Amino acid sequence: MQGLTSEHAACLWIPLFPLRCEEERRPDLVGRPTALLAPEDSRRIWQASPLARRQGVQPGLTVSQAIGLCPTLALLEPDPVFYDEQFARLLLRLEQVSPVIEPAELGRAYVGVDGLEGLYGSPLRQLEIIERAAEADERGARLGWARGKFAAWVAATRAKPGEPVIVTDEARATFLQAQPLAVLPLDADDHRRLQQLGLKSLGDFTALPEAAVTAQFGRSGRAAWRLAAGRVDEPVRGQIRPQPIVATLDFPSPVADGGMLAHTIGVLIEHALRDPRRTGWRVQAARVRAALEQGASWMIEVLLKDPAALRERILPPLVTRLEQTPPTGAVERLTVEFTAFARGTDELQLFARDAVAAARAGRHRALRAAAREIHQRLKRHMLYRVIEVQPWSRLPERRYALIAFEP
Amino acid sequence: MVAPARTPLRPDRLRALNLPSAVEVGLDTWGRPMWVRESADEEGAEGERGRDADERGVEEVLEEWRIDDEWWRTPIHRRYVEVVLEGGAHVVLFEDVMTGEWYMQQP
Repeated sequence: MQGLTSEHAACLWIPLFPLRCEEERRPDLVGRPTALLAPEDSRRIWQASPLARRQGVQPGLTVSQAIGLCPTLALLEPDPVFYDEQFARLLLRLEQVSPVIEPAELGRAYVGVDGLEGLYGSPLRQLEIIERAAEADERGARLGWARGKFAAWVAATRAKPGEPVIVTDEARATFLQAQPLAVLPLDADDHRRLQQLGLKSLGDFTALPEAAVTAQFGRSGRAAWRLAAGRVDEPVRGQIRPQPIVATLDFPSPVADGGMLAHTIGVLIEHALRDPRRTGWRVQAARVRAALEQGASWMIEVLLKDPAALRERILPPLVTRLEQTPPTGAVERLTVEFTAFARGTDELQLFARDAVAAARAGRHRALRAAAREIHQRLKRHMLYRVIEVQPWSRLPERRYALIAFEP
Repeated sequence: MVAPARTPLRPDRLRALNLPSAVEVGLDTWGRPMWVRESADEEGAEGERGRDADERGVEEVLEEWRIDDEWWRTPIHRRYVEVVLEGGAHVVLFEDVMTGEWYMQQP
């Protein structure tokens, strides 16, 4: 499905998503005050657990300040690569509910719900399905349902875990008018100015003339006013994903040998990975189908724990399934199909925003993964690092050199 | 720079960085660079070489120094001039005193 939109949205919001991810992989942290260090500045706090916040630890504090407030604080190095992967898996599970999924930020995603009433029923039932699909009930997820992303997001902020907020079309205007200004997508300065004007709710805000708001706050103020007034419905826009990629081989004579089938699957995986449509995407799910002698068929499917773009990571789980449930007859035609994708390593924490934000713990992992994929696709090193050779040399060309980056 | 991966360095896998490239340099009467041409051009009438699109003027001479080194190996005798070119590029020019050829590289 490509480019689908939905007027009505369900907003799934897991506050402190990175901290929740850490608690899931380290259960010993549950019940302790914890804080994540900022990826771009390891001397400052990025996120603090509710227990830590109760003792005064806030995002932005220095480590020494935080320890002074909470001596038992557990400080964690951030792992942005791991959080991105967890979020990508969450989005994949949401796609089982609706084809229209739009991620907003780590821990927040919108689900397009137009047309789901025929499948799942009422909005409340839809939210239950979404929560179950996302396995979000133990993560403190908040759910909101409304027309438009903004209203759905505001509804989610008003919700509590296990108590979603549903805003019908008829109640939407009244609901928004009563909300505090903090929900508006404005920067801190604009929020401060609105408070100085004595405004408290979206109703107070929309009581101002739109032209006056635009004159004072510019384009962002105008956009916020229109959202608050319900003049704009932001539909959920589904991500564009590649269609399934298929590679097929017809055997000259039917094959029953497991080793030959495994080898052929590997060859077909390599062929499918080279498909230009896969550029920028990693494989999340793969399927192997076979046409057997006398018209029978056989199929196995795997959902990869970690999306991958390397044969060495996609093949083993398929071979395991092949050994567990081998075809019942000789195979005449074998097909490998990539059926689900996740964003590729070109968006992983390597360059652009992620190079800045990547933590020390996550940066090497991202570089290693990127180097492996580049070498696999291009068959030569394309990533280099600068090393010092004779930095003291008076000859500039002898000071530094490039060496292939080997993970 | 990326922190070392603790894998052993292999000198055969090193690629040079900031290698000098041959250029043509026009000098004034005091021997200071006036312009730099990076690509080969054609001679004009009567053998004169005029400025063309590949040529950039030297806006400022920042520093000059000389290196005489490695007499025990391949002797190096270079006269370096650090300049700012037309357009703002900050480069280092050097003349190989032995051959009279000029080269350009990053500082």
